[in-house]
Parts: sequence; structure tokens; C-alpha cells
Amino acid sequence: MGILGLFTSTSEEEKRASEIRKGTVAPTRAERQRCWESRDLYFACLDKHDIIDALKEDKKASKECKAESTKFEENCAEKWVTYFKQWRVQDIQKRRRLAELEAQGGIKLDVNTQFTEKK
Amino acid sequence: MMQPVTPMWAFIQATVARATGQQCRRFLSSAARQQTRRPTPPCTATTRPYQPLVQRRFKFKTVEEAKSRYRSGPFSWKSGVLFVLTGAGLLYYFEQEKERMQRKRVAEAAKGVGRPKVGGPFELIDQDGKPFSDKDLKGKYSLVYFGFSHCPDICPEELDKMAKMFDLVQTERPGALLPVFVTCDPARDDPKVLKEYLSEFHPSFIGLTGTYDQIKAMCKEYRVYFSTPTEVKPGQDYLVDHSIYFYLMDPEGDFVEALGRQHSPEQAAKVILDHMKDWTGQIKTA
Repeated sequence: MGILGLFTSTSEEEKRASEIRKGTVAPTRAERQRCWESRDLYFACLDKHDIIDALKEDKKASKECKAESTKFEENCAEKWVTYFKQWRVQDIQKRRRLAELEAQGGIKLDVNTQFTEKK
Repeated sequence: MMQPVTPMWAFIQATVARATGQQCRRFLSSAARQQTRRPTPPCTATTRPYQPLVQRRFKFKTVEEAKSRYRSGPFSWKSGVLFVLTGAGLLYYFEQEKERMQRKRVAEAAKGVGRPKVGGPFELIDQDGKPFSDKDLKGKYSLVYFGFSHCPDICPEELDKMAKMFDLVQTERPGALLPVFVTCDPARDDPKVLKEYLSEFHPSFIGLTGTYDQIKAMCKEYRVYFSTPTEVKPGQDYLVDHSIYFYLMDPEGDFVEALGRQHSPEQAAKVILDHMKDWTGQIKTA
């Protein structure tokens, strides 16, 4: 298993996981779910260590959230990993801006930016 | 003691006499005026039967009843209820009409003059590899969504939402809505990929793909922005940037309304059902 397994193992499961990572096949619902879960864990770790941009603060992120990062990259396509990291920066900025506007007395419109449904 | 009384008495007598004198004169003058009036037929006892001195305006048995009626005026609980009901009925009617006009305006505004602003003819293939064109959308409402199978977050979420709203519409108007998914990534989303991908969302979803140029033309007609990164080497992964609206099209193939991320499945289903209600023509259900 793990990154090494990617090169040595020839099992179907590993082959599939590697294809997803490379983006040659589209993930199924379950695979997508797994990716999102590991993403959320990774983001929770970044939150804990006050890292906003995991691409810029690459060294700090890989040091503090090594385990989560490995899982995240294992379960998601490479493109998705970059996309989600960029999305996180944008989303945080957006939230801050919204909070700023709200403090200035702006009117909030009903727009959903969450990945998961509000409970 | 008698002396002061006498003048007093005389004064009273004089006043009374003067008063009666005036009364007399007044009586005489009014009697004189009466004579100049138009003569009226003499009233005889035979034409006017005896009328009891009872107020006949209301039919009440007791004085108390009449008094209470007089106090409350023409208002009773019956008239109150009638008033409230009429008011509520009118209010409901006007609200309904207002909403209907609002929807009509949205639908009319989207129609445009001549060539429709959104939508138009296309020739693509569905997930079974069969040809599918704009003619297959005619006769029913259709909900068109653009996306791609490698989409990281928004499309899968929106497709789940689309499945929910489709089911909601389906329970009320079975077969009146066609859920259509058009790929923006025809290079990777062939019919087989689409079939596998969409089967996880809803068995009724129609997946459309084609050549890059066909898809580009389709997106242009639907005013969908999408950008595939240039210079992609074969086998290299990429993401497609695209618009994320559901396009509701009417049975004639004209654009009605765009449903977005802000609509919950319930809200979206309501919007669709309301538009269907407003549609005066036929909607195919088979």
C-alpha cells in the first residue's frame, strides 16, 4: 500500500487508484466520497496549524499535516488536490470579505458556497 | 308683606299674556300660510286603518333585543365572518395572480424576439451512442445541465440536486420533464463514461456528448461558458471550467429560467412545477 505500492502492486484496486490519481478515469461516487473525506481531514489539519495556502506554505503544510496530506493525495486526483487547495484560499478570502461587509452593514443574500449541505 | 307681591304677580300675568298672544299670532300666521298650499285630498278614516304606535323598522320580539341590535349597529358575527372571508379570498387571489404574472414575465422576458436567446438546434449522441437532437426535447419541459465526469465538487453535488428535483417533479407530473446532462469534456466523456457516471445519480438522466465542435456549438447556443485548458497532452489530467446553471426549457425548446446554486431542490422543483402549471399547450408525458 501507499505510494510505493503504486509502483510495485499490480492488483486491480491499486491500478484503479493510480488511474484516478492520474485522472485517466473518472472516480465513482464512493471514490469521490473517499477523496472528499480525506480532503476535509487535511483541511481541518491546516485550520489547526493556521495554514491558509497549502501551495505557498508547502513546507510547513507537509511538515505539520504529513499523514493527512498523504491520504489526501492518495485518494484524490492530482488535479483535484491542486484545485481544492486553491479553492480553500479563495473560500477563506471570500468568507473574510463577507464578514467584513457584514460588519459594515451589508445585506446577506442566500448563496451556498459549502461543499456539504447545511445541517 | 302683601305690597311687594302684587307687582310681581302683575308682571307674571303680563308675561303670560304676551306669550299667549305671540303663540296665537304664530298659530294664526301658520294657519294662514297653510291655506296657500296645494290642496290635498281629504283623509278619511276609511283609507287609513288604525296603526299601533309600535316601531316597525326591526322585527324584534323584545325591547332588549332591539336595544342590543341598536348598540351593535349593522355588524353581527355573520357579517364579520363574511367580511373576513371575502377579504382573505381576494387577498389570496391577488397574491396568486401576482405570482403568476411574475412567472409569466420571467418566461416572456426569456423568450426574446425571433430567434431564442438561449438554446437552439443541436445534434449530439446520448449515453447509448444513439443520435439525440433538439427535436427529442420538444413536447416536454427539459432541464439542461452542463458538466464533466472528472468534475471535483460542484457537478456531482448539482447532479444529486438535479436528481432530487427531478424526482419531486416526477411525483407530481410524471414524464413531463427531461433531465439532460451535456458534457463539456467530450474528449474524455464518451457515451460509455457518461453512462457509468450518470447511472450513479439517476437512471433517467440523459447524457449527451459529441465531437468537440458539436459541444462547442451547443455551449455557445446555451450561452454556457466553458474552457478546456489548451495544450493538454494525451492522458494528462485537466479540469474544465464551466457555468453551473440548470437551464429550464419549455416544450417548444425556448429558454424559461436558469436555476442556480441558490435554489434548494424543493425550491427548484416548485419553480419548474409552477411553470408547467402556467403552460397552456400540451405537455407530452410518454
